[in-house]
Amino acid sequence: MAKEKTEVKDIDRSKYDFRYSEDDAFKLNEGLTPEIVAQISKEKNDPEWMAEFRQKSLELYNKMDIPDWGPSIEGLDMDHILTYVRPKDNKMQKDWKDVPRDIKDTFEKLGIPKAERESLAGVGAQYDSELVYHNVKKEVAEQGVIYSDVESALRGPYADLIKKHFMKLITPNDHKFAALHGAVWSGGSFVYVPPGVHVEIPLQSYFRLNAAGAGQFEHTLIIVEEGAYLHFIEGCSAPKYNVANLHAGAVELYVGKNATLRYSTIENWSKNMYNLNTKRAKVEEGGKIEWISGSFGSHVSYLYPMSVLNGEGARSEFTGVTFAGKGQNLDTGCKVLHNAPHTSSYVNTRSISKDGGVSTFRSSVVMTKNAKGSKSSTSCQSLMVDNISRSDTIPAMDIRVADADVGHEAKIGRISDEVVFYLMSRGMSEDDARALIVRGFADNVGKELPLEYAVEMNNLIGLEMKGAIG
Amino acid sequence: MSENTSFIVNRIPSLTWHWLHMNQADLETLPVGTEGSLSQDIPEGITLREVDATQFSSTRTGMGTNVDRIVTESGVPVHVLETVGDAGELDNAHLDFDYVGSGAYVNAVDLSVADGTELTLVMNLRSEKDAKGTAALQTRYHVGRGARLTLVQVNYLGAGYDFLNDIGGEVDEKGDFQLIQLILGGQNNYYGSFTELSGKKANLTTDIGYIVTGDHKLDMNYVANHTGRKTNCDINADGVLRNQAEKIFRGTIDFHRGCGGSTGNELENVLLMDEGVINRTIPVILCDEEDVEGNHGASIGRLDESLMFYMQSRGMNDEEIYEMMAQARIDAVASKIPDEATREEIAKYLGEE
Repeated sequence: MAKEKTEVKDIDRSKYDFRYSEDDAFKLNEGLTPEIVAQISKEKNDPEWMAEFRQKSLELYNKMDIPDWGPSIEGLDMDHILTYVRPKDNKMQKDWKDVPRDIKDTFEKLGIPKAERESLAGVGAQYDSELVYHNVKKEVAEQGVIYSDVESALRGPYADLIKKHFMKLITPNDHKFAALHGAVWSGGSFVYVPPGVHVEIPLQSYFRLNAAGAGQFEHTLIIVEEGAYLHFIEGCSAPKYNVANLHAGAVELYVGKNATLRYSTIENWSKNMYNLNTKRAKVEEGGKIEWISGSFGSHVSYLYPMSVLNGEGARSEFTGVTFAGKGQNLDTGCKVLHNAPHTSSYVNTRSISKDGGVSTFRSSVVMTKNAKGSKSSTSCQSLMVDNISRSDTIPAMDIRVADADVGHEAKIGRISDEVVFYLMSRGMSEDDARALIVRGFADNVGKELPLEYAVEMNNLIGLEMKGAIG
Repeated sequence: MSENTSFIVNRIPSLTWHWLHMNQADLETLPVGTEGSLSQDIPEGITLREVDATQFSSTRTGMGTNVDRIVTESGVPVHVLETVGDAGELDNAHLDFDYVGSGAYVNAVDLSVADGTELTLVMNLRSEKDAKGTAALQTRYHVGRGARLTLVQVNYLGAGYDFLNDIGGEVDEKGDFQLIQLILGGQNNYYGSFTELSGKKANLTTDIGYIVTGDHKLDMNYVANHTGRKTNCDINADGVLRNQAEKIFRGTIDFHRGCGGSTGNELENVLLMDEGVINRTIPVILCDEEDVEGNHGASIGRLDESLMFYMQSRGMNDEEIYEMMAQARIDAVASKIPDEATREEIAKYLGEE
């Protein structure tokens, strides 16, 4: 009897692949010029310093090279990217009833208002270049938690705080797409958690890109003060088009002394998306950053959340899963900089490649002379599901302190026949055994997410097993 | 963003972030020189002849084409060692490179081990203790079907010598290439090795032991290129960094499509003895084939706390424990050398140091 091959189905994106007319939306011209950037400043009513910052970022962007070490982004032509698209009737609302119907329908289909009612402390929803909805529960606001769009914060009582922190952790000098972000950023969220405040249930921002050929450049700035706690969830999706879309957001996280921030992302952009996102956290004494990262969408991804452990005893945990299917080249991983004594980092990732997909785990662990007594442990595992896919691991370690303990392990392979045999000897069918192994492989992220999101992630993966890998 | 492309050596097959400065080493100049003094002890069953560099095999090497340029521009002969027929297990061969005084020296060796033949070749690199200079050695090899080549290289160079050691070769079906390198001397050492595992069930074992002291540097690039089916590689590096020493280890296991059933393992242990050392490591696994298994493990830093406690409970102080463990790492690699005289010379050298 012919041996059946295991079939791992593509991620079902039908739930996300719908679109509404964008005819009534306001759009700036395609491309990237000083005039377009000035126009964005005008549309956003930027303070003077921000308008100057944008123009300087554009100058840097034009001087910088495209990376030569990652996946090709030849298909991305900045001359044909819309950098600013404002939906019709744009005005940020605090009640879903007041959000324009098409946009409200979009977020209803994505389950955002339902999630807000059932399991979130607050929600921000961005549609193309602008926030359309932002709300935080009364009891959370009464604790002094601020959750707003960045533009409002720029002009409100937190203007100085924004100016002090905006693109100080991720500077436009970092790389070409950080410079691009500095020039054309729009939308995103600002969160401030006062000292000692524990936000018991998560906040979530959801980013939806509806317009074909557009870019989304939201900026997320979160400050968690001393002894505070926050879980922030970021979601994103887009309908699939035949032209390239671009996401070049920036996430800057400031974690105070003895504070903890958990930042969870389920990234599910469509397969025409170039996801060139930058995320960075700076953690002070005794603080902790927890990254939970699921990368499922995009045509090309460059995504490496970075933790700067800047205070004694600061900690970082990175838990990630990447699923690269047909037409996808996902270059993901993380960076950790240990820059203070007794800091620690733990990295645990899984990647699955199938149907011609390319998955690369890339990381760096750097320990400076200041990091005496620090520890780091990295574990990355990759699963090849067929013989037309590709999986690479490229981890780097730069250790400049002797009193350190650094461990690293990487493993690439296919489903182990021995493990299948063991499970079968315990009474499982071969199909069930293989299904269990594949599901369990990606479970490192699922078990770290709130239940609703873990279920969503499992649906997203849609791993359905049939037969046996031969 | 691109790095200096003048004289790149030890470039990693798959690049990463340039800001890490780990993708490659950049030489300020190419150390073109004259032929280094070479003495040999060649057993029966091996022929030795000299050819010019145009007849050197063109196999890819670990350090890259700039070392080819050094050989060509220096105009030195290539020493070709070939085993004769199906000679079985041969006595050990020795090539001793003695770099006299302060100069720039270049040597090239082309090895060919015929089907079914087993050869151990020991290369010793020496200079006067206080001499300053540069030396470059390029070795290419071919291991035939069912043949085995054990290449042992021991670096006893003086503390003023910069050394470029470049290796490249191919292993045929059921062939076995064993590379054992002890890096005990030299100032700035650059080591590279590229192995094409093209034959079915071809095997590569690499064992590297090093001690880097003072402000010396060690820059390494090892590549196992799996193209044949059921091939295997084991790359092990064990070392000790002292004072302000700096080391980078690049190790790549590259599984190409069609190499089904292959396995690859990399293991690195680095003992950091003093504040001021810099250890950089980039272990890469590239996988374009489903039916393979690749593993990497690294342990970097101080000794394990439970080991320290055990040793302390036996009456040793911290310094004694570290000295003993450093010595043990080198001894463990040296013990794999199938040449008693070489093992004794290493022990004597370490005793004197």
